Amino acid sequence: MFHSSGLFVLLLMVLEWTHPGLSSPLRPICDLRVLDHFIKEAWDAEAAMRACNDDCTIATNLTVPLTRVDFEVWEAMNILEQAQEVQSGLNVLNEAIGSLKAYNQTDVIHSHIDSSVSNIASIRQVLRSLSIPEYVSSSSEDEGPEMQKVSSISELFRVHINFLRGKVRLLFANAPVCHQGVS
Amino acid sequence: MRIDTLNVVAVLCVAFVTIGGQSFERKVAQLLHGEADDLKCFVESKKDLTCFWEEELERKNSHDRYTFMYSYEKEKSRTCDISSLSLLASNRTVFLCKLPQVLFFTVLDVQVLHDGRMLYNRSLNVENVLFLDPPRNLTVVSSGKEGPLNVSWLPPHLKYMDDSMIYEVRYAVEGSHMGKVEEIKASTKLILRGLQPGTRYKVWVRVKPDGVAYDGYWSAWTEPVFGATPPSDMDPLTVLLVLFIALILFILSVTVILSRHKFLLKKVWPDIPTPEHKFPGLLTVCEGDFKEWMRQNNGNMWGRSVHVYTEELPSPLEVLSEISLASHATSQREERITLEEEEEKMESEGTDSGITGSWREPSHAHWFMEQLRALQENPQSLSQSMLLESPDTYVTLNQNSQRARAEDDSQVDDICDESLPLQTLFSNTGTSSLSASRSDLGSLQQSSGSGRLSSQSSFEYSNHTWSPNRPGYTYMAVADSGVSMDYSPMSLSRIEDLGKRVIYTNEYKNEIFGHKCPISGQC
Repeated sequence: MFHSSGLFVLLLMVLEWTHPGLSSPLRPICDLRVLDHFIKEAWDAEAAMRACNDDCTIATNLTVPLTRVDFEVWEAMNILEQAQEVQSGLNVLNEAIGSLKAYNQTDVIHSHIDSSVSNIASIRQVLRSLSIPEYVSSSSEDEGPEMQKVSSISELFRVHINFLRGKVRLLFANAPVCHQGVS
Repeated sequence: MRIDTLNVVAVLCVAFVTIGGQSFERKVAQLLHGEADDLKCFVESKKDLTCFWEEELERKNSHDRYTFMYSYEKEKSRTCDISSLSLLASNRTVFLCKLPQVLFFTVLDVQVLHDGRMLYNRSLNVENVLFLDPPRNLTVVSSGKEGPLNVSWLPPHLKYMDDSMIYEVRYAVEGSHMGKVEEIKASTKLILRGLQPGTRYKVWVRVKPDGVAYDGYWSAWTEPVFGATPPSDMDPLTVLLVLFIALILFILSVTVILSRHKFLLKKVWPDIPTPEHKFPGLLTVCEGDFKEWMRQNNGNMWGRSVHVYTEELPSPLEVLSEISLASHATSQREERITLEEEEEKMESEGTDSGITGSWREPSHAHWFMEQLRALQENPQSLSQSMLLESPDTYVTLNQNSQRARAEDDSQVDDICDESLPLQTLFSNTGTSSLSASRSDLGSLQQSSGSGRLSSQSSFEYSNHTWSPNRPGYTYMAVADSGVSMDYSPMSLSRIEDLGKRVIYTNEYKNEIFGHKCPISGQC
């Protein structure tokens, strides 16, 4: 009996030590200038892609999130719904932009693709710091309720910038963690 | 009671609508003048998107003939009800449409049709046409003694957009039209520095989205708010220092003035120039009679400073040969010797007094007087002995060549007049060289402005090249400013008066035909 309790304590200590599956809580990043930095980079990518028309056609249509925001509808949603919409949209966008790497593109386009993918990853980290729950889609949805199809790279990056400065930014600004203690 | 409350509420509502309406009308008017697009759209808050266009003056239409169509991305097209608005300030009419559904962060297509024909067509993003209200509660407060003004305000009521606004603060001295503008981002406070003390300033503020997430037009300026800077407070230490420095400067200036008062007085109140210092006794003894003075001072001519006669530039004299006249041979030899002695003397001593003293040859004065009298009686005889044999202008400086020389340029005339007593062969390779040599002497002449001739100015070897046609004389170009001294009495009063004073007694008489020994002695 003594041995079993000792082993149990040892096991607990080991588990406590390794922290399996749990990451340390991040400090909330409430400064919107962080997100504005990513938005400015997304503007640059959109401007670069707007210029290329013929070189930037893609074979298949890509699924991207809808970017439109009706403030009456948005403000009626609670934080979880907003988070779900933003997180699912980020997932879909990430996949769509990442799939462009398979195409033979110029170095400039590749650099914008890489920076956009890395920025989306950083935005996810910031959302995690704000305690915004991550949304894991139960099934692969090609055409969800808030999804659309695009057929060109310039359109894809236009959706990218509009999504970041729309829904993602509104979610950031509305994060409850940043408004604690403020009436 | 209840009726009073209802009345108050109604009045407030009307006031609010009126103010809001005025604000809306001001925005429409501002965009009408400022924007280039024919079809203008703006969103005031998150739910009011208005598109408008101006009524065409040529066709006074009612809005029934217009159709407004709009469609968001990937949605079907819809129509919007058109209304009209008369702008009282500019006496213009606009047709406008307030869209029922406003969606941000997506593309909106709008079209205006007139009688079925497309009039205007535009694609826009609603979040890029924000037209905000001006900031609220602008306050200007003076802080401290140095004079900066603290300006603060509140952003317009708009949720989610507080962090994405930029402001412009304009301030100007009250009554002045020149103002300064400062831009400030993401802050609703500003400290104005560098202002004039004791001055009233007017301050305005306006706002615009910063362009990252939202974009739009500059709002209207707020109503001006006044703020006064405190008057400058003179630190007693500063005042003392300023007074002390002023006192030191005053003492210094007084000292300078006292030490140089004579110089300054001369500069400010110069004396009327009199010739007394150059002509002693002219005004006092002779009472201005110059002839009388000359008569009295005829023995002292050579003591005059050449500085008085600086206008006549000495000319180079080329002494080619000597005229071996029997009557003057001895005298000329004496002159030559004297001249050579003087050359050596001047080269060694470097004074002009030797020249002036040695030029005086009383033994030749009488001969000169006779020559000049002969010239006066028969001036035409000048032309006969004029020697212009070579293409270069060789002129014999004797009493017969005066007329010939008169034919040359006026500068040469002066020289002829001056060199009348001298009988030397005067080589003139051209007025340019002459003037070059003159200018050499002229510059030297100026250097002797103190009244003393330097030895260099007396004998100058001119730098210009001689003509190859010259006969094979060895010669020395003589620029004799002592000669110019001699000339001056000639030029002051004309040839008529030659007999009255001592003429330059050392004469060089040359003829081009004769084989003559030049002054240098090489035969």
